[in-house]
Amino acid sequence: MEKKIKCTKCGKIITVTGIPSETVKVTCPECSTVGKFTFEETERDVLAEKLVQIKNISKKYKDILALNNVSFDINKGEIFGYIGPNGAGKTTTIKILVGLLNKTSGRVTVKGYEMPEQKSEAHKFIGYLPQQVAFQQWRTLNHTLTTFAKLSGMPKNIIQTRIDELLKTMGLSQFKNKKINKLSGGTIQKVGIIQAVLHNPSLLILDEPLNGLDPESRYQVKQILRDLSKKGTTVFFSSHILGDVQDVATKICILDWGKVIKIGTLDELKSEFVKEKQIEIVFSKKSDKFKEIKNIDGVKNILEKTPEKVLVNIEKTASYDKIIHNIIQTLLKNNCRIRSITPTSPTLDEVYQYYLRQGGKKQ
Amino acid sequence: MSFALIFKDELRGFYKSKAMIFLWIGLPLLALLIHISSQEADMSLSILVSLLVSSIGGLLASVMLTVNIINEKDTRVYDLFLIRPLKRWHILISKFLAVYICVSLACILAIILGLMFDFYESQIAFEIILENILEPFIMSLSIIAISSAVGVLIGVISPSIVVGVLIVIFGGNYVSSIPSIIPFVLDIENPFTIVILLGVIITAVLMALSIVLFNKKEF
Repeated sequence: MEKKIKCTKCGKIITVTGIPSETVKVTCPECSTVGKFTFEETERDVLAEKLVQIKNISKKYKDILALNNVSFDINKGEIFGYIGPNGAGKTTTIKILVGLLNKTSGRVTVKGYEMPEQKSEAHKFIGYLPQQVAFQQWRTLNHTLTTFAKLSGMPKNIIQTRIDELLKTMGLSQFKNKKINKLSGGTIQKVGIIQAVLHNPSLLILDEPLNGLDPESRYQVKQILRDLSKKGTTVFFSSHILGDVQDVATKICILDWGKVIKIGTLDELKSEFVKEKQIEIVFSKKSDKFKEIKNIDGVKNILEKTPEKVLVNIEKTASYDKIIHNIIQTLLKNNCRIRSITPTSPTLDEVYQYYLRQGGKKQ
Repeated sequence: MSFALIFKDELRGFYKSKAMIFLWIGLPLLALLIHISSQEADMSLSILVSLLVSSIGGLLASVMLTVNIINEKDTRVYDLFLIRPLKRWHILISKFLAVYICVSLACILAIILGLMFDFYESQIAFEIILENILEPFIMSLSIIAISSAVGVLIGVISPSIVVGVLIVIFGGNYVSSIPSIIPFVLDIENPFTIVILLGVIITAVLMALSIVLFNKKEF
């Protein structure tokens, strides 16, 4: 975007270019006064707290109902994890959201712009990584990224600096002038992520972004997503790797057979799944009197998993801190040696399986 | 701005492609070899080049476009273009123009080489050679334009590269040869105006159809 500003010293009108939220250094050509200017977000940006609104969308491919009345909102700054088994409708939702597919019914808005009717406006704010990322083979990496940056409307004077910065972050600087057809699958995936974040989009939509990446690159990408979210970028991503979703997502949506099964934060999802809280105790020396912990207030029952390991089920309303304190005191009094004592929490994998089963029962 | 950018990029991509290298270097070389090996045929090199250009150039343009579009469609290259503020027709028109300009330039270069060779060999006045070559050359440009548009259309509608290439080779040639039969069918004084007009109309119709179908396509 372009903005005309007045020099505070000599009053000369200066044209500055930048992107929303960016701060640029400005030097007055008349009196050489140096200052800074921050591009404000537009009114629409500020008003659109709910960056994405999906209301009752359905998509039919001939006889197959790929999406069935899917509804959810994504708020500004959220990292929204979209999970579900193969064929659940994740990619279909994403393609409708970016305007590559037409919905059969329902309503989708991105930053207040109707999709697909106003997609050319909405596309200015979207960064997208498809599940299967591909580029024109004859281009070099730098040429590819420069073209996408220009098409996204980035000011020419900042394109190369931004590309170099991102290539360095992803460890791809040495491939800058290599042709796309000479790059490995993992590198192509990284280039895909770079082109998606290149123009500092308000909404980043990533379809299986961590596919084909080595552990180090996955860590880097997850860190990038967290950093972008801190800066106010909204991230919507689908993944099969539930551990990665658990690591970064602030909100999770489980989709199955084209229907939203459950939506909420990880804690919200767990709260329904966890009927009772559990504490795991591992002993280095166990006496028979350890069973006395059964008498502690809030403890429901104990299960001996192995000779060294015991699971203690406690009331859902009980406080972990208080009960753990009482357990330790009881065990020490009874000459037990404790190696570890941990409140257990279900993984996203367990929660996911639970909700899929629940969803399956309803079908 | 986005159209100019995409067009410039496509031009850059096509002029350096292997198929174009064949046209830039291979076509004049092939014509020269045929000319040398059949001296008795008494055909000037420039006319021979024109004939080669209209047959090979048009076919190559349509095959290049069909393969390129189907390949990029299949590998989902367009996804990243279509989620940016870019009109879909920009992609098709820029590809069409890039190939048409590249192939036409290759043909002009080949014909100029032929003309120079003929002038050097026979010492016939340049104007006479040029007069003889002008009409087949105009025909070639019309054929290349139609062939390119056929290539784009088949690229958009064809489900696979093999099917696309087969349709281009066996069907596309019939469409693109329409202008070349006009002088034989119509008994008028200057049929080449009609040839040019027909070339433009058929190309425009085919391109418009391609754009409509491409706009309706879901990726």
